[in-house]
Amino acid sequence: MAASGIPFLEGKYSPTLDIWPIEAKEFNRIYWFYDNLREGRFTTTKCRDCGHVAYPPRVICPECYSDKLEQFDLPKKGKVITVVEKWGGVPLCFKAPLIVAWIDLGEGSPVRHLVSRIINAPPGQTKEDDEVQLAVFDVPAHPIEVGQEKRIVERVFFAFEPVKK
Amino acid sequence: MAIRRACIIAGGMCQWGLREASYLDMAQEAAKDCLADIPGLKPKGIDGLLYASTFVGRRSCQANTAPVVAERIGLKPTSICARVDVLCAGGSTAILMAKGLVESGTSDVVMVMGGEKLYTPERWQVQYDEIASVDHDWDGPQNMGPPPLLFAMIAKEHMKHYGTKRTELADVSLANYDYGLSNPKGQFQKKLTLDEVLTAKDIAPPLGLYDCCPLSDGVAGVIVASEEKAKELTDRPLVYIRGGSQASLHSVTANWPGKHLGDWPHMRLAAQKAYEKARISANEIQVAQMHDCFSISEIIEVEELGFCPKGEGGPFVASGQTRLGGRIPTNTDGGLLSCGHPFGGTGIRQGIEILKQLQGRAANQVAGAAFGLTHNLSGANVEHTIVIYGREPVE
Repeated sequence: MAASGIPFLEGKYSPTLDIWPIEAKEFNRIYWFYDNLREGRFTTTKCRDCGHVAYPPRVICPECYSDKLEQFDLPKKGKVITVVEKWGGVPLCFKAPLIVAWIDLGEGSPVRHLVSRIINAPPGQTKEDDEVQLAVFDVPAHPIEVGQEKRIVERVFFAFEPVKK
Repeated sequence: MAIRRACIIAGGMCQWGLREASYLDMAQEAAKDCLADIPGLKPKGIDGLLYASTFVGRRSCQANTAPVVAERIGLKPTSICARVDVLCAGGSTAILMAKGLVESGTSDVVMVMGGEKLYTPERWQVQYDEIASVDHDWDGPQNMGPPPLLFAMIAKEHMKHYGTKRTELADVSLANYDYGLSNPKGQFQKKLTLDEVLTAKDIAPPLGLYDCCPLSDGVAGVIVASEEKAKELTDRPLVYIRGGSQASLHSVTANWPGKHLGDWPHMRLAAQKAYEKARISANEIQVAQMHDCFSISEIIEVEELGFCPKGEGGPFVASGQTRLGGRIPTNTDGGLLSCGHPFGGTGIRQGIEILKQLQGRAANQVAGAAFGLTHNLSGANVEHTIVIYGREPVE
């Protein structure tokens, strides 16, 4: 670490270089999205005043600016529209090959499409029209300071994975 | 009171590529090259500085960059001194802002610069830092930061919906590398062959090495001045910034505004507004610099800018319509593919090339060009920025 050029930062957390969100409720009003992920739910916000479903989740409705929002469950399964793979130039945070897909969450879903990594899938196997499902995994914890107290915050994130046939 | 109009009157850039230099070294080189293009102007004659850069905060650990640059290049701005952060479109955004500053009477002569020092001492950070270029909490963790995967999906969707061919993608690279042969300040001067493009290392299939612009160090600068000042400072034909537009309809890829990924309504909207503001149509544009970050991008851009019908960008490029003598010579200095892409520098480089084209002094001159256009997209294809230039002002 001495050769890193910044020895006094050893063991320190810096969000500047963190790929994952700061999910702790002390720093993020939509911390509940991540709590729901832990329970296997893929959620966003729906406006109680105008009914608009927005993704990603908000603290105000982007249509009418109401702050009366409720949690809304999105589909946890979708179909692959397009899938691509990348072997080279993969950032340190991921392993090659990176598989990414444009996914259709279905006609009934207010959020019709999204882009997600495809995990738990062998390279070259994911095809158009394949069914995929939400996959939740742990990502590295980090320290936060609240008053005099320092504690470690666990985190999760999501991708999609093939539905086993 | 007379209407104030903004002109682009000079431009210059440092050598682009993998540079043994800091961003401040390159800013000084670019400023020197820019003022060498207009002998009548000295640093003390410049009252404003806009500096377009997104990654200077991360890779050179410098916030509030503009006064640092201003001091190094001998400027003492009295009207504006600010950094502009719009990633790949920072340069053209800064030119649009300079137009507003000049036309409003806030500024008279503005140095508009842009560029990046993208190569870090350890190479891991070059790719890793790209996580900051998209919506961090949602698209970053899906690896939408480094753009090849998104544009590979865009290419596959365009191929699926319109029958675009792999060789048509290659034709974009071949044309732009050919133009780049006569640009010594670009990153590459290489005569590329079809076989080289088709057999190159895969980046994200269908995109190979030559379908992707490189990462680059580089800075460029232009002078935007009032018409009155321009007439005092130069005997060259005046080039007016006629109009422009920047459209952003979404940030997270889940909110993509098109019917599919090969459909770019945000770009159509930006084009429509830019043509309206410049009081001109696509038919009248004779030369264009488009954002060929990937080969597929230029194919979709010639469609969305109205140079050919939607879905026909592949055959349009393959039939030579973007080469000299074609309908719309495009990226006549080499574009991003051949010149490289130090994000904030690109829109400035494009402005320099249109300035030269409209003054009849470009290396790949389009005969008699009177109207030109520049286009940038930025981030995960979330903003489109268009600037239209002309030998005549909007009346």
